[in-house]
Amino acid sequence: MFISDIRKEFYEVVANQRVALLVSSDIDALCACKILQALFHCDQVQYTLVPVTGWQDLGTAFLEHKEQFRYFVLINCGANVDLLEMLQPDDDSIFFICDTHRPVDVVNVYNDTQIKLLIKQDDDLGVPSYDDIFRDEEDEGHDSGNESDGGSEPSGKRRRFDEGAVERRIERQRERREWEARRREILFDYEQYEYHGTSAAMMFFELAWVLTKDTKDMLWWAIIGLTDQWVHDKITHMKYVTDIATMQRHVSRHNHRNEDEENSLSIDCMRISFEYDLRLTLYQHWTLYESICNSCYTSCSFKLWTLNGQKKLQEFLADMGLPLKQVRQKFNSMDMTIKENLRDVIEEASNKYGMKDIRIQTFGVHFGFKNRFLASDMVHATAALLESTEKDESDSDNFIKALDSLSRSNLDRLHSGIELAKKKLIAIQQTVASCICTNLILSQGPFLYCYLMEGTPDVKLFSKPMALTLLCKYLLKAFVHSTRNKRCKLLPLIMAAPKDVEKGTVIVVGITPESETSDKKNFFGRAFEKASESTSSRTLHDNFDTSIIELKTEDRSKFLDALITLLS
Amino acid sequence: MPTKNVTDERISKFKNKGKDPAKLREKRITECVELRKAHKNESFLKRRNITLSSLPDEEALSPDYLSNEIATILSIEEIIKDVNSDRKESQTRGCQAARKLLSQERNPPLKEIIDAGLLSRFVSFLSMDDEPTLQFEAAWALTNIASGTSWHTQQVVEHGAVPAFISLLASPMLHISEQAVWALGNIAGDGAAYRDVLIECNVIPALLARISPETPVGYLRNLTWTLSNLCRNKNPFPPLSAVMQVLPSLIQLLHLSDKDILSDACWAISYLSDGDNDRIEVVVKTGIVSRLVELMSHGELSVMTPALRSIGNIVSGSDLQTQMAIDAGVLDVLPQLMRHPKASVQKEAAWALSNIAAGPCKQIQQLITCGLLPPLVEQLRSGDFKTQREAVWAVTNFTSGGTVEQVVNLVQSGALEAIINLLQVKDAKVILVILDAINNMFMAAEKLGETEKLSLLVEELGGLDRIEMLQNHDNDMVYQAAHNLIEKYFGDDDVEGVKVDTNDDAFAFQCSDEQRTFEF
Repeated sequence: MFISDIRKEFYEVVANQRVALLVSSDIDALCACKILQALFHCDQVQYTLVPVTGWQDLGTAFLEHKEQFRYFVLINCGANVDLLEMLQPDDDSIFFICDTHRPVDVVNVYNDTQIKLLIKQDDDLGVPSYDDIFRDEEDEGHDSGNESDGGSEPSGKRRRFDEGAVERRIERQRERREWEARRREILFDYEQYEYHGTSAAMMFFELAWVLTKDTKDMLWWAIIGLTDQWVHDKITHMKYVTDIATMQRHVSRHNHRNEDEENSLSIDCMRISFEYDLRLTLYQHWTLYESICNSCYTSCSFKLWTLNGQKKLQEFLADMGLPLKQVRQKFNSMDMTIKENLRDVIEEASNKYGMKDIRIQTFGVHFGFKNRFLASDMVHATAALLESTEKDESDSDNFIKALDSLSRSNLDRLHSGIELAKKKLIAIQQTVASCICTNLILSQGPFLYCYLMEGTPDVKLFSKPMALTLLCKYLLKAFVHSTRNKRCKLLPLIMAAPKDVEKGTVIVVGITPESETSDKKNFFGRAFEKASESTSSRTLHDNFDTSIIELKTEDRSKFLDALITLLS
Repeated sequence: MPTKNVTDERISKFKNKGKDPAKLREKRITECVELRKAHKNESFLKRRNITLSSLPDEEALSPDYLSNEIATILSIEEIIKDVNSDRKESQTRGCQAARKLLSQERNPPLKEIIDAGLLSRFVSFLSMDDEPTLQFEAAWALTNIASGTSWHTQQVVEHGAVPAFISLLASPMLHISEQAVWALGNIAGDGAAYRDVLIECNVIPALLARISPETPVGYLRNLTWTLSNLCRNKNPFPPLSAVMQVLPSLIQLLHLSDKDILSDACWAISYLSDGDNDRIEVVVKTGIVSRLVELMSHGELSVMTPALRSIGNIVSGSDLQTQMAIDAGVLDVLPQLMRHPKASVQKEAAWALSNIAAGPCKQIQQLITCGLLPPLVEQLRSGDFKTQREAVWAVTNFTSGGTVEQVVNLVQSGALEAIINLLQVKDAKVILVILDAINNMFMAAEKLGETEKLSLLVEELGGLDRIEMLQNHDNDMVYQAAHNLIEKYFGDDDVEGVKVDTNDDAFAFQCSDEQRTFEF
């Protein structure tokens, strides 16, 4: 069931209990987790934090903790499956689920006892009404006999009905069949697409606010959570702008509240500000030139993988009157005079080059005097740490590091994340360029398909779901800019990359077509399931995003064939 | 190795291996039976949807049939008055009104009619051969009362309805005779006690006498169903003499084409074959096995299910009985049933397979030849849990009775990896069965001198981790079995050091096969 009073029905319930916190591996979840941890610290709630990377992980984590805990908080996982069916918990285990995955499984919605959904109901959920999908036993009683299930043992006794009764019964059966057909249709429509709702971090920030325990740190985490949804392209532009406005109100409230103290700037102060900033990734921590080269927006607009594109970039820089020496200089060391109105200069020049929305509403933060970060910087840095492939570190090590990088006491960690993020962005850009230049993107009819072969540089990086998703988005955008085929511009993309060489598996991701007005509703989850079923391909649907699966390499072609037939 | 007593206990669950074949069958299917029982009880309440079997013109045979508008509005008091009156017209009207009330769908007033003391009147109406309408209405009313709970049925029987109905079977009016068949079916369906009462009263010859080439299909459907109830229920089984009487006609019915008749006839066979080897023998001797195997491919689920059940029962019998089913081609049908869209069918098919796998190695070989390993492994991997449980039994039975080559074949087809993956289920029994299977595989490997390779394979497939985890299992036997496996085959490295493997042209658990046995 949906919780309407998050304080009474959630926080006050768990406040005196021990809680198991099961947190998915994405940035929004980490931010939500930070906020909740801060609240728990505040109220001395005992909790155990368990990172989970997929359904199997979630199952194991539950098994390991079900004896000691009654209350489980699931962040960004659990909403889109019938959780009770999957975990088979005892009757007294209670699950609080704060998850952006949509659609929410109907059983979760209508279970009143064990499933508590921390999900805003105004969130465009479209849940079918109870009567449309469930029927009370009493109604069914008489009819459900052998008609639906021809395989069960006949009854030992039978009553003889009169003519009228038989007709009524037939009528009722017809109605029931119609009802069932309608139910299937409704559920099909409801479950057809996967998409995302309001950020989990924002949900918990709202809780903190309701409890009047919200701090600037929490606000910043909520902003990062929201920005993660934008960076990883999980929500529509409309939704992003609306939620940014919500966050902006909180930011001005906080800035207003602390105005006096804040005026006396100190080394450990924190100031969040609304910005209308450039869509140049990490530019304040890089050189302007490299940031332009490795940002999806600019790289695609210029088509930097072509000679012509490179030329255009030089023209663009010349047009702005920025000396190359300055541009290739670390941003921090650039001339103050250039930096002063840099954003306006770039915006003006970009307009000329057809990049009408080089600026976007976002937020920045100042830690003390020196450190300034944009919300998207944080997302990229934390994501790079979370999916680091640098050393042979376990997922949970990475999780802890990523979580740490979000605390402002851990700026070193954050900086190391930024360096990793740069490497990742360069790798993405290079892979995009080589895929486009060697025509690796094939049109399969109903979708585009690209397979990264074993041995491609940085291929290990792309065995991780977030990195591969980001690559997908960048690649599709680049492809749409480079192709002349109008039909292909409207197609979704499926990408496969080696996942586990020893097991001989690939990771497969499907994303929605590239478009500013896209509703970000992804149908690949269902399609993957169906294709795998019909070909009995060996697949593992372990990711919380159903559009990301693991597939046995040798089953790839039959799986793809089935997908093509299915979607054509 | 699992502890001795565990092994013994489990071995005694297989046919042929244990001392007491009846017991092992019983144990093996107790659970299924309980489920079926639960379902059956449920359907008592739900009842079965039925279409009127009597043809519409038969209804027209009762002349006053059209006067029903008046009849329906009678209250219980009026009914009592009418039924107890001396006038035939009133009796007929009251009886028909009561029948109508008893035929309404919601809350038929069974108890009210009984409490009103009408049963003895109804029973007496049954013998009025010169009043066919009254006979018919009374038979119908009593049928519906007998369709209630055991108490309701008991009331009908105790008012002397059994002999009355049996004589009514001989009625020249088909629709009346058919109603008697139906009523007797309800009484027989109540349980073993009333079933045997009916048999004592010689119901079977009376019923069988009505089977002729001219009998309408609707009538035959009711008759088949009643016969199936006469074969139904255990503790005790129906007397052997009765079974012998019924069987020839059942066999005859099984060769018709109507799906309802086939379904009930198959269910009857499934009840008769659900017993010890002697009971199975009676069925097998009739030569019906090949027809049953044929019906396992019937397009109707309602026919295929009981046919599969019957064959499943038969292959749980002696090796010879099983061989008859194999000779009739059961192994050619099972693969498609293992892949049937309905999980209940898969489970049933896997159960049959597990019993065939418990046979001698010749039968195991036939099972391999007929291509049953791939569907078996598919079910282990992705079947419904109940099916997986049966499939696991099949693997364990296979490994305990199969030759070394056969076991190698099984491992290579991916069964080892699949059962290793199943080690994470919660059901301790299933885990024990799997550990036993792994142990059996090691014993086969030992004979080839390949234990080390198998250890390696198990480890690579993630089995060692899982087995190690199982040492923390709550269940003591699981712990023991896991511990023993680890001790014996995954012990210290010095053991491996001592035993240098010089046998390099070994064919068994080679790495080249890993590709195929690898799985998620």
